Amino acid sequence: MEKLTKKQIDDAVRLLKMPPDSKLVTHLNACVHCGLCGESCMYYKTMRDNRFIPARKVELVSSLYRRYCTLTGKIAPFLVNAKELDEGTVKEMVDMLFGACTMCGRCVKHCSIGVDISYVVHFGRRMLAAMGLVPDTLQATVNAALDTGNNMGIPVGDFVDTIEWLEEELIDEYGENARIPLNEKEKKVLYTLNPREPKFFPLSISAMATIFYAAKESWTISTNMYDVTNYGIFNGDNAQAGQIAKRLHDEMYNMQSKLLVLGECGHGSRVNRWEGPNYLKHPYDFEVATVVELINSYIRNGKIKLDKNRNQELVTIHDPCNLVRNGGLLSEIRFAVKNSVANFVEMNPCGTDNFCCGGGGGQLAMSEYNERRLKIGEIKAEQIRATGAKIVATPCHNCVDQLSQLNHTYKLGVKIKTIAELTADALVFDEENED
Amino acid sequence: MVELKFDGDGFLTNPEIWSEEVAKQIAQEDGIDMSDQHWAVVRIIRSNYEEKGNAPMIRTICKETGLKLKDIYELFPLGPARGACRIAGLPKPDGCV
Amino acid sequence: MYWYQYLSLGCLGICVLACLWHFFRLIRLGKPKDLSRKSGNVTRAEIYSYTLAMMPNNKESAYLHIPAFTSGIFLHIGTFLSIALFVVFFFVDPKIFPEWLTWTCVVILLVSAISGLSLLIKRMVSGKLRDLSNVDDFISNLLTTLFHIVTIFYLIFAYQAAIYYYIEVSLLLLYLPVGKLRHVIYFFAARYHLGFFYGWRNTWPPQKMD
Repeated sequence: MEKLTKKQIDDAVRLLKMPPDSKLVTHLNACVHCGLCGESCMYYKTMRDNRFIPARKVELVSSLYRRYCTLTGKIAPFLVNAKELDEGTVKEMVDMLFGACTMCGRCVKHCSIGVDISYVVHFGRRMLAAMGLVPDTLQATVNAALDTGNNMGIPVGDFVDTIEWLEEELIDEYGENARIPLNEKEKKVLYTLNPREPKFFPLSISAMATIFYAAKESWTISTNMYDVTNYGIFNGDNAQAGQIAKRLHDEMYNMQSKLLVLGECGHGSRVNRWEGPNYLKHPYDFEVATVVELINSYIRNGKIKLDKNRNQELVTIHDPCNLVRNGGLLSEIRFAVKNSVANFVEMNPCGTDNFCCGGGGGQLAMSEYNERRLKIGEIKAEQIRATGAKIVATPCHNCVDQLSQLNHTYKLGVKIKTIAELTADALVFDEENED
Repeated sequence: MVELKFDGDGFLTNPEIWSEEVAKQIAQEDGIDMSDQHWAVVRIIRSNYEEKGNAPMIRTICKETGLKLKDIYELFPLGPARGACRIAGLPKPDGCV
Repeated sequence: MYWYQYLSLGCLGICVLACLWHFFRLIRLGKPKDLSRKSGNVTRAEIYSYTLAMMPNNKESAYLHIPAFTSGIFLHIGTFLSIALFVVFFFVDPKIFPEWLTWTCVVILLVSAISGLSLLIKRMVSGKLRDLSNVDDFISNLLTTLFHIVTIFYLIFAYQAAIYYYIEVSLLLLYLPVGKLRHVIYFFAARYHLGFFYGWRNTWPPQKMD
């Protein structure tokens, strides 16, 4: 590793010294080193390396806090393990905070004190980002979004071509009203996607378009900005995260839509529902909802009719951390799934106690940590196997990708589906719709 | 045989040394026995990469090969990215794949 | 009053002032301002955070680690009892305690001291914990466990143990705001922030699974 410059150190320490509120100081002072969080962490549970204990990850940041911000740490650093921000510390921080944490927050819920460990890990990533030390692989995905408007760098022409192709197939099946409207202003809903949908997995777009058609929704997708993802939450650069969030925010005004609907993406939903207004430092004055909440509103208002017997295979839910533990959608996800499938089984544990798929926190983008990612995924794989389910439903494309890889690696023989795909399969069209 | 270097995700780090032999070798790791349909997909991906420097859209793969979406997912259970693009010797695409 | 009692009172004053400094710094830094649209009920989540969320059946740190969790609970009971007795001793001589009360306290403190010692030994023996620990962790545990022990001695022997008792208490009070014992403040702050976070997003209080 190259030697740190004084500017790098100053930039990182400045963040420590300027907490916006009492949250950071609280969580950096609260850990009592009981070490009981280890058993709640997928990394420690599967690899038994002491460095993976969540408290150790907190310690990496709080030891710097003590060194630079507390009297005891300045006078007697040995007493409280106050550490210099040097090359060694930074190397360990990159490896542990970027490479060994999915920021799933499972340890937070189970912490004996209540330390928000993933908040501290994210703060550590912010310090690293301030020093320009984000892993290249992760930064590449952020750069793709900043440079091209979507995180896979899909040219507009290719995107339009793909959507038109999907629309043709949809019209073949349901008639000319089954459309995927592009760039139509003053529609109620502005719908967003994970770029991996148009690029490689477009069935979920068709599924959602079918649901919109059945619900007779007024909706559109903007070719200018349709990307729901925001890897700025992972690389720890809040300015970049804000830049990406602002694009989607501004697109709502550009398209004059009323409701921003977040495609099935855990972190993307988290950023645009919860973090975005804080990045941009003002509340959003339009409504924001996830796909799952929108589908549920259709079910509750009778806008769509479902026959759950059309999905006979046994289904289980994988709870995306950013939507359930960190997003409060536990019962909403169950409502959508239970209305769409005939046979359902819960995973154990599930809900706010769920294990991460293993691909969160930007892990899917960082190939250098691939081995760890597949190893921690073993927990999820065995959980799925134990349910005996044939289909795993999850409202997050990032989880879908990790689960698909686990499905292959651990030979689970299941199908991974989004909620929209399951719901679309259960749709019943009344005669009026079938013209 | 050329020495193959992979990134942590199993994607070639030196995509220029790719050959059909290499493709077979990677496919074997994934338990895929390369059929004509597999080759058709892999060749489209490869030529798109050599021409434009990135993976083609799934739309392009379907159009050029005449295969249906469903067929492609069946041919490559790991999907177009981790399955087909890896066999075609591309570096790992950015994003959630 | 003897000099060592004045000493301990002085240390208590310093300790309380330092804790107040920590507390008011948190107040000054202020609550988080979340600009997103609230989804849940923060008040109910805060109540949950300080109560049911702490129950052993809701935390892996408790139900996966029953011996450590139980020891921790005993340690804290002993500490709060010792603090209460420290105050009481200024008004009531331990010699005039009814016998049942003395021995009830002694038994509780014996259990808590053993718990404290066992956690201290665990911290030294377990590689996982040793890697995580710093000098402060050992000092904090030692001062607390000794606090229980000297309280036992003071309860039983009164005057003969007084000087040791008050000096130990003074050291503990002086050290508290400096080391990790200040979690007496930050624990409550952490529960507050967690309750706010999960409450705002409607994760707490937990939703029904059906």
